[in-house]
Amino acid sequence: MTRGCVSEPLRGAGRALAVLFILAAALMAFPSAGYAQQTARAKALGQKLMCVCGCNELLTACNHIGCTYSHRMLQELDDRIARGESDDLILQDFVQEYGAAVLAEPPRKGFDWLAWIAPVVVPLVALLLLWQIARRWRRRALLAPASGPAIPPEMLARARREADEESDE
Amino acid sequence: MDIFGSFALLLALLAAVYAFGAGIAGILTRRVLLTKSARNAGMAVFGLVTLAVAALEYFFFTDDFSLAYVAAHSNRALPLFYKFAALWAGQEGSLLYWSWLLSIYAFCVLFLNRKKHPELMPYAGVVLAGVQIFFLILNNFVASPFHVLGSADSSGVFHLTRLPEGHGLNPLLQYPEMVIHPPMLYLGYTGFTVPFAFALAALLGRYPGEKWIHITRRWTMIAWGFQTVGILLGAHWAYAVLGWGGYWAWDPVENASLLPWITGTAFLHSVMMQEKRGMMKVWNVWLVFTTFMLCILGTMLTRSGVVSSVHAFAQSSIGNWFVGFLALIFLVCLWAWWLNRDYLRSENQLDSLVSRESSFLFNNLILLAACFAVLWGTLFPVLSEWVTGSKISVGPPFFNKVNVPIALFLLLLTGVGPLLAWRKTSLDALRRNFAWPLAGGAVAGALGFVFGFRNFCALMCLILSVFVALTVFLEFYRGARVIASRDGANLFTAAIDLARRNTRRYGGYVVHFGMVLIFIGIAGSAFNRDTQKEMGIGQSLAIGPYTILCQNFDQVNNNNYQSERATLEVFRNGHSVMMLYPERRFFPASQVTETMVALETGPLRDLYVVYAGRSPETDKPVIHAYLNPLVKWIWFGGLVVVIGTGLAMLPNRRAALALRSVAETSWAKPPEGAPAVAAVRSRGDAHD
Repeated sequence: MTRGCVSEPLRGAGRALAVLFILAAALMAFPSAGYAQQTARAKALGQKLMCVCGCNELLTACNHIGCTYSHRMLQELDDRIARGESDDLILQDFVQEYGAAVLAEPPRKGFDWLAWIAPVVVPLVALLLLWQIARRWRRRALLAPASGPAIPPEMLARARREADEESDE
Repeated sequence: MDIFGSFALLLALLAAVYAFGAGIAGILTRRVLLTKSARNAGMAVFGLVTLAVAALEYFFFTDDFSLAYVAAHSNRALPLFYKFAALWAGQEGSLLYWSWLLSIYAFCVLFLNRKKHPELMPYAGVVLAGVQIFFLILNNFVASPFHVLGSADSSGVFHLTRLPEGHGLNPLLQYPEMVIHPPMLYLGYTGFTVPFAFALAALLGRYPGEKWIHITRRWTMIAWGFQTVGILLGAHWAYAVLGWGGYWAWDPVENASLLPWITGTAFLHSVMMQEKRGMMKVWNVWLVFTTFMLCILGTMLTRSGVVSSVHAFAQSSIGNWFVGFLALIFLVCLWAWWLNRDYLRSENQLDSLVSRESSFLFNNLILLAACFAVLWGTLFPVLSEWVTGSKISVGPPFFNKVNVPIALFLLLLTGVGPLLAWRKTSLDALRRNFAWPLAGGAVAGALGFVFGFRNFCALMCLILSVFVALTVFLEFYRGARVIASRDGANLFTAAIDLARRNTRRYGGYVVHFGMVLIFIGIAGSAFNRDTQKEMGIGQSLAIGPYTILCQNFDQVNNNNYQSERATLEVFRNGHSVMMLYPERRFFPASQVTETMVALETGPLRDLYVVYAGRSPETDKPVIHAYLNPLVKWIWFGGLVVVIGTGLAMLPNRRAALALRSVAETSWAKPPEGAPAVAAVRSRGDAHD
C-alpha cells in the first residue's frame, strides 16, 4: 500500500520524463532545419554564397538535415537585407566572417583571376594552334602533286556522295 | 568465409601477375604456349574475383557483422536488394567491385578474341593484366573488404568480434536508382580500360592500320553508353533524393564522372577521321590515353579527399596510390608514343577548311575545352590553396558561366558537322543543307522570344536545338525518301530501313537528337521557380498554376526507419489534381535523417515538394516547393541517347539490292576514273 502510494507519483513523474525523452528523441531525430526565407534579393545573394558546412553546395541549396551553418547564414542574410545593407557590403562581411571560401565564385583578383582567365585563354591558344595546323595541312595538300588517273569532277563528287550515303557518319 | 574471400583475392592477384609476366615473356620469346597460358590466367582472374565478391555478399546476406566492412554498411533490417548494393557502398567494397567489373571486361575481351588478332592480343592482355594488378594490390593490401573485427589480448591471441547489429547503409543510398547508378558508372569507368589496352597494345606492337579502332569501336561505345546512363541516373538520383531541387551541382565527384565522358565523346568523333582519312592518329591515341587517365583521376578524386564532396568516400591515404598509378600510366604512354611515333604519321592532309574533317577538329577542340574548364574548376581550389594558402570555392556559378557558352557552341557544331561533306563542301551544298534548319531555328527563336524566352542562353539553346533537330530530321527524311520512292515503302518504314543499312551513322543522329532533348531540358532550368513557407494544417502556398494545401502531418514507422510525413493536396485552377507526401526519414541504425521528395512530373514541368523540417522559431513545418520546367526532357533525352547508342552498335544490314542497283546504274561502265572511285568507296565500306 505504502509502496503503491509512493509509486503512483513516481510513475507519473516517470511518465512525464518518458514523454519528455520521446519528445527530445523526436527532436533529435528530426532536427529543425527548415528556414522559410526569403526575398528575391536574399535568394539571389544566397546563390552567390556557399554553405560552409562542407557540403560544397550553394547556401540556398544546402538542405542537410541538422546543418548547423546554412540556417544561421540564411537568417543572417535576411537580417542584413532587412537592415538595408548593400549587396557588396553583405558579401564582404560574409567573407570576413567565414573566409573567402564562402563565395561561390573565385574572386576576380590576384592569383584567383587565373581561374577565370585559363578557361578562355587555353581554348583560344588551342584554337590558334589548330588553325595553324589546319592551314599547314591544307598547304601541304595543295602542294602535293596530283596522282592517279584523272576523274571527271561530277563522277568524283557522285562517288563521294554515294560512299558517304552508304557508310558515312 | 573471410579467409576464403581473402584467399580468392590473393590468388586473383597472383593470376594477374602471372598473366602480366607470362604475357611479356610470350611477346619477347614469341612462344605461343606462354601467350596462351597468360591469356588463361587473365581469364582466371575473373573467376577468382567473382569468388571474392560472392564471399563478401555471403556476409551481407547472412547478416554476419564480423567483417568491419559489412558492419559499417549493412544492418539486419536492410532490404535484400540494398544488401546486395551495399557491396559498393564504401571504399573497400567499391574497389573490389571495380576489380570485378574490370575482370569481367578482361574475360570477355580475352575470350571473344582468343582466336583473333594473334599479334595484338598478347599486348592487350598484358595491359589489361597490368591495370588489374594495381586494383588487386589495393584490394589485397590497402583497402581489403575482408578485415575482421576483433582485438588481440595481452598474450597476442586474436579474438574475433561479431557485432549483433550493423551500422546500416547510408540512407542516401537506400533508393532503387542507387542500386543501378554506381554499377552503370563503374561499367563506364572500367570499360574505357578496353580501348586503352588496345590503343597501347597497337602502339607497342606497331599493329598496322586502324585495326585497333575497329576492334574497340563497340567496346568504346559500350563504355560510353554505360557512362552516359550512369551520369544521367546519378543526376536523377540527386534530383529525386537530395531534395535541393536540382540535378547537377558541379560537385567534384559529379565532375569527375563527366570528364572521361567528354573525352570519350571526342574520341568517338575523331576516330572517324582516322578511319575515313587516316588522319589524327596521334590525337586519337592520346584521347584514349587521356580518357583512361581521367577515369583513374575520377576514381582518385572520389576516394582521396583531395577535393571536398558530399559524394566522396572517407578521406584516406589511398590517393597516393592513385597518383603513383597515374604517373606510371602517363610515363608508359609517353614512352610508347615516343618510341613508335613514326607509326602514327597521318596519311592524308586537310583538303578544305569547310569540311567534315574541320568540323571534327573543332568539335574535338570544343569538347576538350569543356573538359579542361571542368577539370580546371574542379582542381582550382586545391591549386589556389597551395599557392595562396587560403581556401576558395569554385561553385556552380563559375561552371555555368564558363561551360554554358562552350555547350552552346558544341550544340551548333552538332548540327553543322553532319551537314558538311568529307574533304570539301561546296557553297551550293552548304546553302542546300543549311537553309531549312537555319530557317527553322530562326522561327523557333522568334516564337520563343514572343512567348517569353528572354534569357539569352535559353533562347540560343532553343534556336540551336531546333536547328540540330531539323538537321537530324532532314538527314533521315532525304535518305528515307530515296528508299521510299524506289521500294514503294512508306516513309517511316523507309527510315527504319535506312537506319539499319548504316546503323553507325543513323544511330549517331539519334544520339544527337537525344542530346538536343537533354539540352532543351537543361535550358528549362532558366525558368525554375521556388517558394518556401511555414505551413500549419489547413494553410496553403501557391506556386505557378498550383496551390498546395496542407492536410495533415503524421508519423510512419517501420523496422528500417521512422518517418515524419506531410500530406499535401495540390489544386490546379481550383480543382484538386493530386496528393503529395513529402517525408523526412530517420534511420536509427545509422542515426541519419534524410528527406524524401514528393515529385509530380510531367512533360512541361515538375512540381517538386520537400518537407524541409520545422522552423526553430515557430516549430511549424516548412514546405519548400519548386516548379522546374522541362526536366523530364532530360531523362527522355537520355533514353533516346541510349537507344541511339544501341542502334549504332548493331551490325549493318547491307542493302544488297540497293547497292546492286547503284552499281548497275553508276559503276556498270567504269571509265578511267574507276580505281580512284573504288578507293573512295573502299574507305567507306571498311568502316561500317
